[in-house]
Amino acid sequence: MILLLQYMLIFASVLLLVALGGCFSEHSGVINIGLEGIMVMGALGGALMMKFLPDSTSAFVMIVLVVLAAVLLGMLYSLLLAVAAVNFKADQTLVGTAMNLLGTAAATVFVKAMNTAENVDNVSSTIQYINAKKAFIVNLGGFEFNWFMLLALLALIGSYVSLYKTRFGLRLMACGEHPQAADSVGINVYKMRYAGVLISGMLGGLGGIVYITAGVSEWKFENGVAGFGFLALAVMIFGQWKPTRIALAALLFGFCRALGNVYTGFDFLKSLELPAAVYNMLPYIISLVVLAFTSQKSRAPKAEGIPYDKGQR
Amino acid sequence: MKKEKSPLLRNGAVQSLLASLLCILIGLLLGYIALLLINPAGAGEAILTIVKNFMTYSRTTAQLKYLGSTLVKTAPLLMCSLSILFAYKVGLFNIGAAGQYVVGAGACLYCALGLHLPWYLCLMAAVLAGALLGAVSGVLKACCNVNEVISCIMLNWISLYSVNTLLTKVKEETSPYTYTLSSTSPEAILPSLGLGGLFSKNQYVTIAVPLSVIAAVLVWVLLEKTKLGYELKATGCNKFAAKYCGMREKKNLILTMAIAGALAGMGAAMLFLTGFEQWQCTQSAVPAMGFNGIAAAFLGGLSPIGSIFSSYFIQHITNGGAYVDKTMYSAQISDFISALIIYLCGFVLFFKVALNRWLNRRDEKKGGGGK
Amino acid sequence: MEENYAIEMLNITKRFPGIVANDNITLQLKKGEIHALLGENGAGKSTLMSVLFGLYQPEEGSIRKNGQPVSIRDPNDANALGIGMVHQHFKLVECFTVLDNIIMGVEPCKHGFLQKAEAREKVLALSEKYGLRVDPDALVEDITVGMQQRTEILKMLYRENEILIFDEPTAVLTPQEIDELMQIMRNLSAEGKSILFISHKLGEIMAVANRCSVLRKGKYIGTVSIAETSQEELSRMMVGRDVSFAVEKAPARPGEVVLDVKGMTVASKRHNNNAVKGVSFQVRRGEIVCIAGIDGNGQTELVYGLTGLEPLKAGTLTLNGQDITHAPIRKRAVSGMSHIPEDRHKHGLVLDYTLEDNMVLQRYFEHHFVTPAGFLKRRAIREYAVGLIEQYDVRSGQGPVTPARSMSGGNQQKAIIAREIDKDPELLIAVQPTRGLDVGAIEYIHKQIVAQRDAGKGVLLVSLELDEVMNVSDRILVMYEGEIVGEFDPKKVTVEELGLYMAGAKREGAAS
Repeated sequence: MILLLQYMLIFASVLLLVALGGCFSEHSGVINIGLEGIMVMGALGGALMMKFLPDSTSAFVMIVLVVLAAVLLGMLYSLLLAVAAVNFKADQTLVGTAMNLLGTAAATVFVKAMNTAENVDNVSSTIQYINAKKAFIVNLGGFEFNWFMLLALLALIGSYVSLYKTRFGLRLMACGEHPQAADSVGINVYKMRYAGVLISGMLGGLGGIVYITAGVSEWKFENGVAGFGFLALAVMIFGQWKPTRIALAALLFGFCRALGNVYTGFDFLKSLELPAAVYNMLPYIISLVVLAFTSQKSRAPKAEGIPYDKGQR
Repeated sequence: MKKEKSPLLRNGAVQSLLASLLCILIGLLLGYIALLLINPAGAGEAILTIVKNFMTYSRTTAQLKYLGSTLVKTAPLLMCSLSILFAYKVGLFNIGAAGQYVVGAGACLYCALGLHLPWYLCLMAAVLAGALLGAVSGVLKACCNVNEVISCIMLNWISLYSVNTLLTKVKEETSPYTYTLSSTSPEAILPSLGLGGLFSKNQYVTIAVPLSVIAAVLVWVLLEKTKLGYELKATGCNKFAAKYCGMREKKNLILTMAIAGALAGMGAAMLFLTGFEQWQCTQSAVPAMGFNGIAAAFLGGLSPIGSIFSSYFIQHITNGGAYVDKTMYSAQISDFISALIIYLCGFVLFFKVALNRWLNRRDEKKGGGGK
Repeated sequence: MEENYAIEMLNITKRFPGIVANDNITLQLKKGEIHALLGENGAGKSTLMSVLFGLYQPEEGSIRKNGQPVSIRDPNDANALGIGMVHQHFKLVECFTVLDNIIMGVEPCKHGFLQKAEAREKVLALSEKYGLRVDPDALVEDITVGMQQRTEILKMLYRENEILIFDEPTAVLTPQEIDELMQIMRNLSAEGKSILFISHKLGEIMAVANRCSVLRKGKYIGTVSIAETSQEELSRMMVGRDVSFAVEKAPARPGEVVLDVKGMTVASKRHNNNAVKGVSFQVRRGEIVCIAGIDGNGQTELVYGLTGLEPLKAGTLTLNGQDITHAPIRKRAVSGMSHIPEDRHKHGLVLDYTLEDNMVLQRYFEHHFVTPAGFLKRRAIREYAVGLIEQYDVRSGQGPVTPARSMSGGNQQKAIIAREIDKDPELLIAVQPTRGLDVGAIEYIHKQIVAQRDAGKGVLLVSLELDEVMNVSDRILVMYEGEIVGEFDPKKVTVEELGLYMAGAKREGAAS
C-alpha cells in the first residue's frame, strides 16, 4: 500500500511538472508536442551531473546541481522549439515531433559515444547513478520521501500564483488567447512566447530527471522516457490548462501508472489477471473518453498553434 | 511586369525540391559536425559510409542484396509518409500513423501466426485495422471536436500496449519476439514474384516494393484528378466553405482519416509479412516508422511522388548508419540526422516565403531600372 | 505662427510590395477637436493609423506632437505619447474580465504582483465621470458589443491618453447607441481630448466632427471644415466623382411565393436561448425583401437555418412549393436556392483553391464537370470559369488559375456573385453582399441584385447598413432578438423609425 502511494506520488510529480510546463507553453500560444524530447534532455543533463559529481558531494549540493543541470539542458533544448515556432513560424506539431525523435537520438548518440570513449567495449546507452540517487530520498518509515515531490508541489504553487496573480501571467495568457490584443497594448508577443516555451523547457527538463530517478538507479537512453511526455500532455488537457486541475489529473494518472507497477501486490487485482498493459493504457483511455465528452467546449487557449505575425492584423 | 524572368525559381515544385535538398545538406552537415565532436578521426569516413549505405560493399551482388534490404524498409516508410501527407492535404496532422502502423502490424501478425491465414487476408486485416483506428480519430474529430493530434497520440499508446498484449499470444517462449513467419506460417509471406532474384536472392524483396510505389501514384491521382480529391482538399482548406457548398464535411473527415489509417496499416503489413522483422512484445516505445513517415512526407514536399524519393533517402541513410564503425560511433547517428532533417523541414515554409520575397525585390529593382 | 496641433502627420509615405498604401499624406489634429478621417475601404486609412500607432514605419514623412518631432516605433511609444485607439475589431481577450482587459499592458504592480483593487477604483471613477457604464468583473465574452466598446474607450482613458482614435466605431451599434457614442465623443472633446474619427459614413461625420480629412486610393485629397461643407462635397472628394446613392429601379411587381417560412426556430451556439424564435415570412418572385437589424439579433442564424448550415428546432420551410425543412444543403442548392454568404473568406471561398476551382464550387458534381468514374473534367471547368470571368468582369492576376487568396475583396465578391447568380436560382439569399467594398463595387452589386429581381427571382437581402436597406429593398423586415418586430415599406418609413424597432424600443402589435 505504501509502495503504491509512493509510486503514485512520484509519478504524479513527474506528470505535474511536465504538464505545468506544457501549460505555460500553451498559454503563451505555442503547442509543445516536444515535451517528451525535452524530458529526455533534462534527464540526460541530470544523469550526467550525477555521474560526474563525486559520491562525497553533500546531498543538498547534489540536489541543487542536478536540478540545475536538468533545468538548463531542458531550457536550452526548448529553444529549438521557440526559435522555430516564434521566429520562423514553423508548424509546431512538426517541430515538436522532430524534437521528440531528436531528443532520444541525440541522447543515445551522446551517451554511447561517452561510454565508448571510457571503455571501448561498452557500446550501451546506459548511465548509472546508484549512489548519487540516494541524495534525493529520505526514508520515512517504509515510505521513501523524494525531495522532488516537494519540488513538484512548489512548482504547482508557483505556477498558480504566477499565472493568476502576477503581471507576467496576465500578459502570458493574453498572448495565447489574443496576441493582436496583447500587441496593441505594447506587450511583446514574441518575448512572452519565448518565456512560455522556456518555462516549459525548464519544467519539462526537471520532470525528465525526476522520471529517470523514480524507482531505478540507471537509465538506458535508447528508451527515451517511454511516452511520459505524451502522458503529461494528456494530463494538461485533462486539467483544462488550469494548474489546480492539472494537479488532480496528475494524481489520477499517477495512480494508474503506479497500479501498473505494483498491482501484483494486491490479491484482488492479481485475481483479475489483467496484463500490466491494461494499467498502462488506462490513463490514455480515460483521457480519450473525457476528451470526447468535453471537447465541444474546450478551454484551450484560442490562439495556440497559430504563429503570430506582426505584419498581419 | 515581366514575371517570366525567373520562372524556374518561381515554380512551386522547384522551390520544394530546393528546400528539401537544403534540409538534407544542412542535416548531413550537422550530423558530420556531431561526428567530428565525438571523434574527429573517423568522422569523414563515417558520414561517407552513411551516405553510401550498400555501396560500401565492393561486390555488385552484395550491393544489390543490401539495396534490396533498403527497399524492403522503404516500402513501409513510404506508406506511412503517404498516410501523413494524404491527411495533411485534407488539413489533418496524422501523427497517429505510428499507431495505425502498430495495429496494422498486430493485425497482420496475429492473422498470420495465430490464425494461419494466407498473405492477402493478413494484408487485408492490416489495412482494415489501420483504417478502423484512423476512423476513430476521424469520428472523434468530426463528432466530438477532439483535436486529431491529441487523440492520435493517445491512440498510439493504446495501440502499442494492446498489440503487445495480443502478440504475446504468438511469441517465442524464450524471447520477447513473435514466431518467425517462415517457420510457423509460410503461406502468410508476401509473394516475391521473382523480385528477390533481381536483388541477389534477397528473399525479403517482395511485391510490397512495387505495391507501395503504385499506392503513391494512386494517392496522387486521387488527390489531383478526382472529384473526391477536390472535395477532400476543399474540406481540408476550409471546412466551412465545404459545408456551405453542400459537401458532407464530417463524412469527409472520417473518410480521410480512415484512408490515411489504411495506408499506414498496409505499410506495417508490407514489412512484417516479408518476415524481415519480428515484433518485440516488450516494446516500450511506439515504433519510429510512423514518425519517420512525417519526415519523409515533409521532405518530399508533401507530394506523393516526392515522398517516393524522400522515403528512399531517409531509409538509405538509416541503413547506412548500420555500417559506421561501431568502435567509434553508434548507429543512431542516422536517427539523429533524420530527426534533424524533420526539424529543418519546419523551416521550409519560411524558406519559400523568403525566397519569393527576394525574387520580388529583385524583380522590382529590375523593373525600376528599366523605366 | 502655426496653430496648436496635438498631433501632426506630415508627408507620410508608406509602401507595400506592389502598392503605395499612403502617398504623401498630411493629417493635422487640433487640440480638443473631433477630426474625421474619411475614405473608402482601401483608401489607406488603416495604414495611416497603423503608422501613427507605431505598427508600421513609414518610408517618408514625419510625425510631430505639439510641434515637436517624435518617433513612434511601437505601440508603447504611441501610448507614451498619449495616443490610444479603439480598433474596428475590438482587441479584447474574451476570457478575461473587463478590468483585466483595461489594465493589460499598464498593470499596477508591486514586485510583479497585480494590485487590482487600486485599478478597480480608478476604472470605476473614470466610468462615472464619462458616463461609460461597465461591469469591471464581467467576462468580456459575456457582455454586449456596446459594453465591449465602452471597455475599449476606458482602456484609453485609463492610460490617460490625450489623442483618441476611433476606427469605424459605429458599424456594430444601433442608431440609438450611435447617438450615445456621439455624445460620449463630444464629452471627451469638451474635456480637452483630441479625437480622430475614422469613418465612411457621411451622416455621422456631419453630425459630430469639426473638420474632416479625405483620402482616396492612398492619396491625400484635402481637409475641410464641416461647417463649410456638405455631404455631397464630401462624397465627391471621397469617390472622385459624383455618386448617386439612390439605386435606380422600377417598382417591384411581386409574383407567386418562392420562399415560405413558418414558425422557424434556430438554437443559438452562443447562449442557451434560441437565436431565432418562431419567425414567419414569405418572399415572392420579383421582390427584394430585406432583413434589417443590428448585428447579432439572429440574422446569421436565420440564414444558416434557411440554407441548411444549422438545423431547425421548429418550423417549416417551403421553397417553390417543395418542403425543404430537413433537406440537406446540397438539396436546397440544387432546388434553386443560391446563397451569397456573410463571410466570403469563411464560407464563400476556398482561399487556397484557384479562381476556377472556386467558380465550380456549387456545381463540380454535375455531369458536365465530372466523369461517371469520378474524374474531374479539367477542360470543361476551365471553359466555364473563363466564361464567367468575362461575363462578370472578375479581375485577377493570372485569370482562372489565380489563387483566390491573392485577389482583392471586391473581385472575390464578384466571383461569388457570378457563381451564385449563374446557377439561375429561384431564390437568391444575399447576406451583407457589399461589406468592405468600395463604392464602385457596391453600385455594381446592387445593380446585379435588382437585375435578379427584375428577372423574376425572389431576393432575400440581409444587411446591417441602413442606407442599403432603404435604397435597395422593396419590403423591410426588422429583426430584434430573434424575432421579426416590424414590416415596412421603405418609401413610407424613416431611418429613425427603423432604428427604434432595431433597438427593440418599439414593435408592431404583439408577436403571434
